[in-house]
Amino acid sequence: MLNIEHLTKVYGDKKAVDDLSLDIAPGEIYGFIGHNGAGKTTTIKSCCGILKFDSGEIRIDGVSMKEKPLECKSKLAYIPDNPDLYDFMTGVQYLNFVADVFGVSADERQKKIHELAEAFEITDNLAEAISSYSHGMKQKLAIISALLHSPKLVIMDEPFVGLDPKASHLLKQLMREICDNGGAIFFSTHVLEVAEKLCDKIAIIKNGKLIKSGTIEEVKGDTSLEDVFLDLEEEK
Amino acid sequence: MIKALLKKQIMEVFSWVYFDRKNGKNRSKNGIIGYAALYLLIFGFLGVFFYQIANTLCKPLSDAGFGWLYFALMGMIAVAMGVFGSVFNTYSSLYNAKDNDFLLSLPVPPGKILSMRLLGVYLMGLMYELIIAVPTMIAYFMAIKPTVLSVVFNLLLPVVLSFFVLTLSCILGFLVAAISSRLKNKNIVTVILSLVFIAGYYYIYAQSYKIIQSILAAPEKIGNSVKSVLYPFYQMGLGAEGNALSFLIFISIVAVLFGLTYLVLSKSFLSLATANKGSAKRIYKEKTTKVSSVEKALFFKELRRFMGSATYMLNCGLGIILMLVAAVAVLIMGSKLNAVLSEILGEYSTVVPLLAAAMVCMLTTMNDITAPSVSLEGKNIWLVQSFPIPAKKVLHAKIRLHLLLTAVPASVLVVCVCIGLKISMPYVIVMEALTLIFIFMMALIGLVLNLKMPNLNWTDETVPVKQSIGVMLALFGGWASILALGGLYLLVMKFITPLVYLIIISALLAVVGILLLRWVNTKGAKIFETL
Repeated sequence: MLNIEHLTKVYGDKKAVDDLSLDIAPGEIYGFIGHNGAGKTTTIKSCCGILKFDSGEIRIDGVSMKEKPLECKSKLAYIPDNPDLYDFMTGVQYLNFVADVFGVSADERQKKIHELAEAFEITDNLAEAISSYSHGMKQKLAIISALLHSPKLVIMDEPFVGLDPKASHLLKQLMREICDNGGAIFFSTHVLEVAEKLCDKIAIIKNGKLIKSGTIEEVKGDTSLEDVFLDLEEEK
Repeated sequence: MIKALLKKQIMEVFSWVYFDRKNGKNRSKNGIIGYAALYLLIFGFLGVFFYQIANTLCKPLSDAGFGWLYFALMGMIAVAMGVFGSVFNTYSSLYNAKDNDFLLSLPVPPGKILSMRLLGVYLMGLMYELIIAVPTMIAYFMAIKPTVLSVVFNLLLPVVLSFFVLTLSCILGFLVAAISSRLKNKNIVTVILSLVFIAGYYYIYAQSYKIIQSILAAPEKIGNSVKSVLYPFYQMGLGAEGNALSFLIFISIVAVLFGLTYLVLSKSFLSLATANKGSAKRIYKEKTTKVSSVEKALFFKELRRFMGSATYMLNCGLGIILMLVAAVAVLIMGSKLNAVLSEILGEYSTVVPLLAAAMVCMLTTMNDITAPSVSLEGKNIWLVQSFPIPAKKVLHAKIRLHLLLTAVPASVLVVCVCIGLKISMPYVIVMEALTLIFIFMMALIGLVLNLKMPNLNWTDETVPVKQSIGVMLALFGGWASILALGGLYLLVMKFITPLVYLIIISALLAVVGILLLRWVNTKGAKIFETL
């Protein structure tokens, strides 16, 4: 579903992502772990078509991000770590705007908005300006908007930050549902327990380079993911 | 602790001198000196203006035995100025301060926090009040030989009067906080109030000579009104002339008023500081949703951004109001204007349609909606960049908003100008076409400038809207191009009629517009994708 081949992104003379290759198959929840500044967000933004990369290739469902970025973007959804949404819109205006952009039919969007807003318990707040929302509410709105067009691939940067326990639980359920229906999830996190429990596969990145990837069992072996991560971080 | 709080408050009050909101950094030493000098210059200009008013009023009123009225009137202006300058500071520092939670968590009694905040407002009010108080004193000391007591009281007066300013600011700031938390369409209300204020300001400014003359013509009548309705100012006026008892009465009145306000504030400060600042809550009711095209969705996104910001509307959409006001004015005063123009222009009165077209175009440049529109994407730019839509569609939405909000009032203005000035039908058609083409070109120029000089890292939207070079260039560039085209006509007027000239100019501007649109669709779109 998401195929990253030899991705390299350079800022000035610093390689933020260095020859990174990953393959995320349909049905997989793929965790992306690394220290602050390791290159996770740069990789994620490149996969979403927000950042242009210097070399390598990214394919979404077999389509090249370099050649057909719009087709790729229509297949995926992106949820950033800091949901800076349009403060001048109300929640429902924002959801309808996103639905219009992705060409979601009236019935489909109404059904999804109703279901997801109820599930995340923000129905009552949808008529209020986004500027009045808390970080968690913005995150919930970003998640709902991302799921409106039934994306095949959902890419998330630290999706659990700011969510209450109930919403976190719900998001984990939704992630699994998407994968059970043939979709895929690629997300970054610092919460290693979540990654260990939720992911089918994980990748660990350090200074822009992939240092380990595979199934949870392959990566952690007999120890915990936390121990593996800390050991890898200490290695120079 | 008090010293630290005091230092923080003074730093906050004067942060505009040393802190650059554009880049969120402290200014350099030279920057601070330059900025302070600029403000001193502005305050100096205002001081000169008020000195002229003071100078006109002082001697005649003092000679007529109404010296106290001079101080009372100037005192009222000083209070108005002080309140104007400090009321929004009161709102933001007293009722809506961002560091309330932090300060309340420190081992400092709330009363001391309140006192420090009030000190900040006091200093701000005093600073604005001095713009009038200083010229008032100078004019008085130069016109009248003052007594020792008068000099002492005059020097003390701004300090005392500023407590009165502080009292009014606290009350008005409280009202602003109370109203703003209940308003549903805050931005529209802000725009309307700002326009009313601007109109009022210009009206009073235009009428100031008449007002001064009417005061000088009947000081007794005005004096009696002030004495009966604004008694504290009567006592203040007498005090400033050297009457010790009156000065004491005035100080007592101010002390009582401020004391009462402080008492109320100190009792309610904790609840005010920790109150939920949320606006009026609207409960969502599910409705049948309407599906829009991508183009329409993007257009409404731009429209909502425009309508959602009073700063954006006031600074980049003022032309809408000005054009409609001009349309009505030209309809009412068209024949008079026509007569004046005919008299001035004489045998050259055939250029009236040209002048009218230039005036209309000039007014359309007061709308620079596209000029900050890319920068205004700010931190939200990831949204449109992650959507499956070509960048040029996003840019087209910005152009469409500019066109719609400018072309509609401009078309009305052209029709009204042509009716008012009795311009013939062929000119009406060409002027409409020229105006629309000019607006199209200016929309593109604004967008091109912003794509070339974007600023997405702002924390306050006034930075891209008011302080960007692109907006300035779009505004003044529009004026410069109109003047240049006017100058060009002077060179060719012997060879072509105004009508033919307008047609040629329309064609030229259309070509420029098409070239700019091509740039926006290609290079501009690429720039936008990589911002």
